[in-house]
Amino acid sequence: MYRYDEFDAAFVRQRTEQFADQVRRRISGELNEDQFRPLRLMNGLYLQLHAYMLRVAVPYGTLSSKQLRRLAEIARKYDRGYGHFTTRQNIQFNWPRLNDVPKILAELADVEMHAIQTSGNCIRNVTTDQFAGAAADEIIDPRPIAEIIRQWSSLHPEFTFLPRKFKIAITGAPQDRAAVKFHDIGLMAKTGPNGEIGWTVYVGGGLGRTPMVAKQIRDFVDHEHLLAYLEAILRVYNRYGRRDNKYKARIKILVHEAGIDTIRDQVEEEFAAMKDGILKLPQEELDRITAYFAAPAFKEVEQKTIDLPKLKITDPAFARFIERNTHPHFRDGYVSVTVSMKPIGGTPGDATDIQMEAIADLAEKYSFDELRVSHEQNLVLPHVALDDLRAVYEGLVDIDLAEGNTGLITDIISCPGLDYCALATARSIPIAKSISQKFSAPERQEQIGDLKIKISGCINACGHHHVGHIGILGLDRKGVENYQITVGGDASEDAAVGSILGAGIAGDDVPDAIEKLVDLYIEKRESADETFIAAFRRLGEAPFKEALYGTR
Amino acid sequence: MALASSNLAEAKAPRASDLEIVALNGMFDERDTLGVIRYALEELLPGEPLAVVSSFGADSAVLLHHIAQVDPHKEVLFLETGKHFAETLEYVETIKQRFGLTNIRFLEPDAADLKRFDPHGTLWDTDPDSCCHIRKTEPLKGALDQYAGWITGRRRHQTQERGVLPHFELTSDVRIKVNPLAYWTYEDVKAYKAEHDLPEHPLVQHGYRSIGCAPCTSATREGEDPRAGRWRGLNKAECGIHFDFNGQIASPAAKLENRTLFKSGRFIADPFHVWGEGDAPETSAYVHVPLAIWQENRDAFIAADHPIGLLIEPGDDFEAIAEDFDRFASIAVAFPKFTDGRGYSYARLLRERYGFTGELRATGDILTDQVPFLRRCGFDALTVTNEATKKALENDALAEVSVYLQPVGSRGEAPVGTRPFLRRADQ
Ligand code: SF4
Ligand code: SF4
Repeated sequence: MYRYDEFDAAFVRQRTEQFADQVRRRISGELNEDQFRPLRLMNGLYLQLHAYMLRVAVPYGTLSSKQLRRLAEIARKYDRGYGHFTTRQNIQFNWPRLNDVPKILAELADVEMHAIQTSGNCIRNVTTDQFAGAAADEIIDPRPIAEIIRQWSSLHPEFTFLPRKFKIAITGAPQDRAAVKFHDIGLMAKTGPNGEIGWTVYVGGGLGRTPMVAKQIRDFVDHEHLLAYLEAILRVYNRYGRRDNKYKARIKILVHEAGIDTIRDQVEEEFAAMKDGILKLPQEELDRITAYFAAPAFKEVEQKTIDLPKLKITDPAFARFIERNTHPHFRDGYVSVTVSMKPIGGTPGDATDIQMEAIADLAEKYSFDELRVSHEQNLVLPHVALDDLRAVYEGLVDIDLAEGNTGLITDIISCPGLDYCALATARSIPIAKSISQKFSAPERQEQIGDLKIKISGCINACGHHHVGHIGILGLDRKGVENYQITVGGDASEDAAVGSILGAGIAGDDVPDAIEKLVDLYIEKRESADETFIAAFRRLGEAPFKEALYGTR
Repeated sequence: MALASSNLAEAKAPRASDLEIVALNGMFDERDTLGVIRYALEELLPGEPLAVVSSFGADSAVLLHHIAQVDPHKEVLFLETGKHFAETLEYVETIKQRFGLTNIRFLEPDAADLKRFDPHGTLWDTDPDSCCHIRKTEPLKGALDQYAGWITGRRRHQTQERGVLPHFELTSDVRIKVNPLAYWTYEDVKAYKAEHDLPEHPLVQHGYRSIGCAPCTSATREGEDPRAGRWRGLNKAECGIHFDFNGQIASPAAKLENRTLFKSGRFIADPFHVWGEGDAPETSAYVHVPLAIWQENRDAFIAADHPIGLLIEPGDDFEAIAEDFDRFASIAVAFPKFTDGRGYSYARLLRERYGFTGELRATGDILTDQVPFLRRCGFDALTVTNEATKKALENDALAEVSVYLQPVGSRGEAPVGTRPFLRRADQ
């Protein structure tokens, strides 16, 4: 894992002091809220429905046990005893007091964490595959490059007042677990013409009001020139991105309006001018950063496989946990374990201080001190030996987070919605909870198989409903909450935006509606191996529409 | 007084044609200062003397020392505004004695003008432009009318727009300007002063760097301002009067508290104004010209050859006039809203891509927190109207992150605060 050197430490310390000063100026009235807003936003501080909300960056979703413990402590000391993991691999505290924020930031700085650029119109925390550096299917560990991008983008003097926020995602595996095509820039590892590894660059993806799948802007850029290429894109965006309308200010609109070819030409022109300038990344620097991400010292494990069929009889819950919550590791005898933060009926992504501390302990004992936050709002123990799997499982059972439901219908992504969010038009957490309860029976979930439900409380789409296999969008119809259902979205390498099935429905009817869609799928699928999304692609939306609204 | 400025333009046309003047450049070795002065005084225009004007400021001694070697009886003009520091007048005397100069002529303001416009001697406070007009512009015009040109102490290295300063120039008003010190660097000046033990202006030891009239010169002590030097590349404010003699005559100054131009770590008088009513390409100087106006009147501006600046608004296609950038002494980039960050990219392009070395200033809605970003992108001057920002700058209270996690191309930055791989020698 990356460790701060004296530079990073000084950087974060100074930034924390700077923000403390800004808070002081706000409290003293020297800054009014208008002036304070962009400053606090650059430091991850939002004003929500009930209170300030502080969003802390978890750089590319990587945490150490010590850091998670510190987050738990902050939740206990300054919040109401819990934190909320977001779809951006960050964590949010929903109830800090403005006065306390500088203290929180100082305590975070002690463990090499900060809230820099977790909001505001700047380059946000870069996100990646939660199994990075562990997954069996990886071409390259994306974390070193993610770290280099993090450094490059931190308080970049040219790009802190962009037209709109800017999100970069990077994946080192062909199976895209980072939804790169739904980011402003998506980077996908690729083997180049001479066998060297570099990146395919996508630009202009995004969700929100106008969901768009990113377009490929460059087939291949090597490590050495990646930063220059990114800077070229950012400069073109900073100069030409729309600033007249905040809903049209993301780069996706620029790409859409100008056309990818125009944008590509502009970027290439910029790139040509600065390609061999100061941003050229020397191999030694890449090596230096890569060394921080060296694989841990794996031990010789006894157990190489697990007899799942047998376990299914003797210990079905554990078997389900293994089946759903482990991911193949490149190292024999190891897996990555997903800790589902979606207990039945719980709030997706919420973790109490006690849970965080327990998970930190498990990571320390069984996963070389490493943890990940996934964009699906779960936590991951990336390197767990099969020998230790039971111990991990039992540890999770103790804190009620052993649900073996990763990727299943109850592994729901949900934004905070009307319970917290000032922009919300409807509740989303209660909808998630009611669906989760409706499908709580493990057998039922297993029967349904892979199915991603995503819920947003307004058209800003923080819950990524557009890319849910089933997406739910909460709207406000004349003062009444109303939910629009989409089907067929996909955030993976087969990126697709879901289609709206028809008129919105009442919140109370959502679980039943989902059930109708699910029943239709089960009835129509060719076999249990055909997933919901695969069946949807084969069948088209008509039968789903009919299932929901009847024939007209 | 009241010499119409057209008189000035029509004044003594030099006997030498453009070509001959230009051809003189290259005749002299770059450092043959005495040769240039001798030629200018004795041979260039026989019977048509050139003027020597001096401010007797911090930087004046070198030229005067050379003049004295060529001709100690040469007339040296000095604008006695009546507002000088006592130390300056004392310095005039010192130089006179030490160099043996016999003919220093004090140009004084017209008594009638003073009586009429500045009876209490406080015009500088209420209307510095007019004060300068009465005390400097008019007396100088009157004196220069007798000359076909003048010898200046300007140096290429002083301010950036003088990067191509030759020994001999024909100005737009068909006067000859001779710049014997054109190729001198700051180090040369220092070394020469030391070698010849030239007297310093008494105020230099008190930290004054640019000395003009007392009310309009503020003390800034060396070493007192930790921010000085951060606004790289600029020594001091340009002279605000139209003649632009030697860059040493103090500029007209707004009242201190009204000063909005922040440069070299302090608030100073702003010689520039924004293009507005009454401005014309032929006559206006020290004005930031909007891009469109420049484009429409390019020829007229170039013909007039006054020191001017360019104003870039967000969205302007400023790169369309890239070949003109080095004509501008100053480029102002507007930030109408502080959340509009286009100007940062413009600045980096101007500096890094187009190699613009003149003053680059940010104007508009600027918050303290943006100042470090602006500076890193290449701005070296700010016009600040936001009160809180002004206060913070005055009190040196910018909370700043001095460590950079990424390089930008501004000169001199890479080695200090960037990642290890970027800590390489400045290029
Ligand atoms: S989708 Fe809307 S309601 Fe949900 S978090 Fe985003 S802004 Fe708030
Ligand atoms: S510099 Fe000041 S005192 Fe001197 S003439 Fe100009 S305004 Fe008057």
